[in-house]
Amino acid sequence: MASSIDDLKSAIKEALPDLDMVIAWTAGPDPLSHTPLFITDEADIERIAWDPRCSQNLAGYLTGLRGKKVGVVAKGCDARSIVELLQEKLIDREDVTIFGLHCTGAVDARTTRKALGSSRGVEDVAIDGATARFTVAGEAKTLPLGETLQQKCFTCTGADAEVCDHFIGEHGLPPQVGERPASTLEELEAMSMEERLHFWEDQMTRCIRCYACRSACPLCVCQDHCAAQSREPHWVDQTDHPREKLMFQAIHALHTAGRCTECGECERACPMGLPIMTLKQALNRSIQDLFDYRAGTDPDQAPPLFEFREEEKNIKEREW
Amino acid sequence: MTSTDATNLYLPDMATIQEVIQETSNIKTFRITLNNPDAMRRFRFEPGQVGQLSVFGVGESTFVINSSPTRMDYLQFSVMRVGEITEKLHKLRPGDQVGVRAPLGNCFPYEDMKGKDIVFVGGGIGMAPLRTLLLYMLDNREDYGKISLLYGARSPSDMAFSYELPEWLEREDMTTELTVDNGTPDWKHHVGLIPNVLKEMAPSAENAFAVTCGPPIMIKFTIEALHSLGFNDEQIVTTLEKRMKCGVGICGRCNIGTKYVCKDGPVFTYAQLRQLPNEL
Amino acid sequence: MLTARYIANDKLLPWLLSLTETRQVLAPVQVGGQTLFAPLDADSRLDLKGLADASAKAALLPRCETLFEFHYSKSEGVPSRTELELRETLPDQETFLFGARPCDAKGFTVFDRVYDAGTRRDIYYCSRRDKTLVAVLACTDPADTCFCNRVGGGPGETDGADILFTPVKGGFVVEAVTERGDAFLLEQPLVEAEDRTEEARKVREAVSDAMPDEAPLVGIQSKVLELFDDKGFWEGITSKCLSCGACSYLCPTCYCFNMTDEIKGDDGVRIRTWDNCMSFQFTLEGSGHNPRDGKAQRMRNRIGHKFSYYPELHDGNLACVGCGRCIVHCPVSMDVRAIVDQARDRALAKEEHVND
Repeated sequence: MASSIDDLKSAIKEALPDLDMVIAWTAGPDPLSHTPLFITDEADIERIAWDPRCSQNLAGYLTGLRGKKVGVVAKGCDARSIVELLQEKLIDREDVTIFGLHCTGAVDARTTRKALGSSRGVEDVAIDGATARFTVAGEAKTLPLGETLQQKCFTCTGADAEVCDHFIGEHGLPPQVGERPASTLEELEAMSMEERLHFWEDQMTRCIRCYACRSACPLCVCQDHCAAQSREPHWVDQTDHPREKLMFQAIHALHTAGRCTECGECERACPMGLPIMTLKQALNRSIQDLFDYRAGTDPDQAPPLFEFREEEKNIKEREW
Repeated sequence: MTSTDATNLYLPDMATIQEVIQETSNIKTFRITLNNPDAMRRFRFEPGQVGQLSVFGVGESTFVINSSPTRMDYLQFSVMRVGEITEKLHKLRPGDQVGVRAPLGNCFPYEDMKGKDIVFVGGGIGMAPLRTLLLYMLDNREDYGKISLLYGARSPSDMAFSYELPEWLEREDMTTELTVDNGTPDWKHHVGLIPNVLKEMAPSAENAFAVTCGPPIMIKFTIEALHSLGFNDEQIVTTLEKRMKCGVGICGRCNIGTKYVCKDGPVFTYAQLRQLPNEL
Repeated sequence: MLTARYIANDKLLPWLLSLTETRQVLAPVQVGGQTLFAPLDADSRLDLKGLADASAKAALLPRCETLFEFHYSKSEGVPSRTELELRETLPDQETFLFGARPCDAKGFTVFDRVYDAGTRRDIYYCSRRDKTLVAVLACTDPADTCFCNRVGGGPGETDGADILFTPVKGGFVVEAVTERGDAFLLEQPLVEAEDRTEEARKVREAVSDAMPDEAPLVGIQSKVLELFDDKGFWEGITSKCLSCGACSYLCPTCYCFNMTDEIKGDDGVRIRTWDNCMSFQFTLEGSGHNPRDGKAQRMRNRIGHKFSYYPELHDGNLACVGCGRCIVHCPVSMDVRAIVDQARDRALAKEEHVND
């Protein structure tokens, strides 16, 4: 992506004088994950990194910076979050400058670290067809995508940032999905209701309630006033029971139903590796069936649960 | 180590509400006694110390013990209704059970204050912590110099301790001034902001201490007024409110730099506060 | 001379399982793709590669623990009255904590100074501490994000531990560090370590020597404090922070907690749960005032607590043991080392500026 990154840097350089800041990525403390970079000074542009290690969705910062002129770098999925924020009027289109990218897939640092044995010495990562190629301390290593990419990449609906002000790279290439590992959603769909509850209770015993899932979600805008900590109403108690923790996940999923663009930040941020995007995926499938709607595709469309219609085409309230 | 040879820092003593006084529309005072008569007899505290009141099933919250250690028939707490726990406390009636963890924290420097003139400046619910020291001093009257009190509230009906104000106004061994932001036709005292009335009162700073408590903005201007009257930072004493949980300096939320308000406070001189990071 | 023993690799798991007959054994095991400290049983998959994903702190400070239970009932004499009964619930589980790393154990010493402080003994913590034997496993493969050597620790150190395991050829050398560790080892059917203790010492030294030699992060209490009012600095370093609790909850030294009541019908509990200083609610007062209402103020307190306030109160000991979990698991890859380095540089630059 050598040429892409140069194009990205020059586009940002040109736009920066008219912006309060540009949010991009730079090399992070761990060689397998880059970290957000807030650019206010032209000198910082040189530090920008762009490769499959740029996993964070930077759209989440936009609501907190409302009122400022902000440039943001976006992969295909990140751009869908921005579109959703625009649809919900949580950000203002004229204040946001989007530098759109074509993404070849985002590294799951956790699984990759395990597959490589360690993240030490990783110098470069590139996705090439169905393979992830790493340069580790000067040596080439490859891994299958199933052991490298985040789960969300295998259900990617578009690798390009479709809504943007500046597109960097070649537009129109399809997502490189390659072989798709079995998803948690498919596993769950094969289970009985009882087994599903058991599955989630088992998973939720690991939850430490750090709420990184919530804090990383670009659409979670209640943040400081979250139902998870509210005593009145007392939706969730603070005991360690997995059902209480699952209750929070259920609230989160319902709050983002028909809004969630499956950017995967909840799952990526979870330090316990809980497959919590699955809950949102399941609701999104229902939303699609009921309203024929996908979140984050059209800035001018209203999310279906934001509107009330007396008659819904796919919902029969009565048998007759 | 076994449980029997150590005190449980978090286990409240059971107590019974003896009396509830509606002070203002949103402040109630609770007079309680510990259920264990021996514990009640042994109970000691110093003016300015706080306690954690529990409504079991709702939680715990911190309040200053505003009765005086010289009057141990009951422990008194005044509670402004602001959140979940205070809301539930306001629903309690005489005979109801609460938990108490007390005394916690430090106290007013009432020993250092001996022989000095004392100026009390209280605003709203901030009068509660001053009351304990005032009563203590009135009960040890000969140990202290001139005592003056300036108590202000938003309106006459927002004045707490109205059952004691006539006595304080009448006493010849203290001066009492009352003020409200908004007067009523029958209000006979000052109308105006506390710092302004304080300047009019113009208490002497010589050999004196000022003790103040109230909303942050009132404290700020009261301290300015005290400075203009010649009080230095060591002569100004205040007591802080912070969100507290454990009450013993462990749980981590009430610190200002290295000082834990629940353990090292809540009472600080203004000189001490100025040594701390600015994070009130 | 304290006891030193040896255990072969293939004897380790059977020996640990034999201990479970008399006590709980907590060890790093694989759970759903993570390596976490959990009670060991015959089905457990022990994982001794590198650092566990979560620290071992829950062994002494559980994520959620009941402080007491209460029960409401109608008064027999006066039906309009409600009676209340409290029942103290103290921990009594004998535990052998195996495979904690030296940083994990050093984290316990951070707790000890706060939870076992003279007259203010927290009996929940102290009971657990007294009933838990801590066996650390010396590190042989520190990660890029490990920095114990910069915060007063080391990959083979034993602060806070009773027993030290060091990997050697074919197995582990097991050395007692404390009297109670010694008493325990003497009862165990393990073979003499003989001259393998020398091999173990060399292993530890080699690992320690191989760690990158970077500036210590200790002794900068005043530097962090000098920056207290430097709003630009704190806002700058915090701009990407999500203000979640992943760092706090994975940290082996973060000990702040919340206390809440939960009640169903007439029965309830008062519990204490981990709390997180990066949460808005942490310092939110009843009046609505919040002394740390922005993430920059919260981060300032977090860094301040670990590198300034705590060391100021506790003889220079930091409330950071350099495990790097906050770095590895941060959703936006924040780096506490970089923050502290920047704070020091900024404070030094200011001092120079003043001296000019």
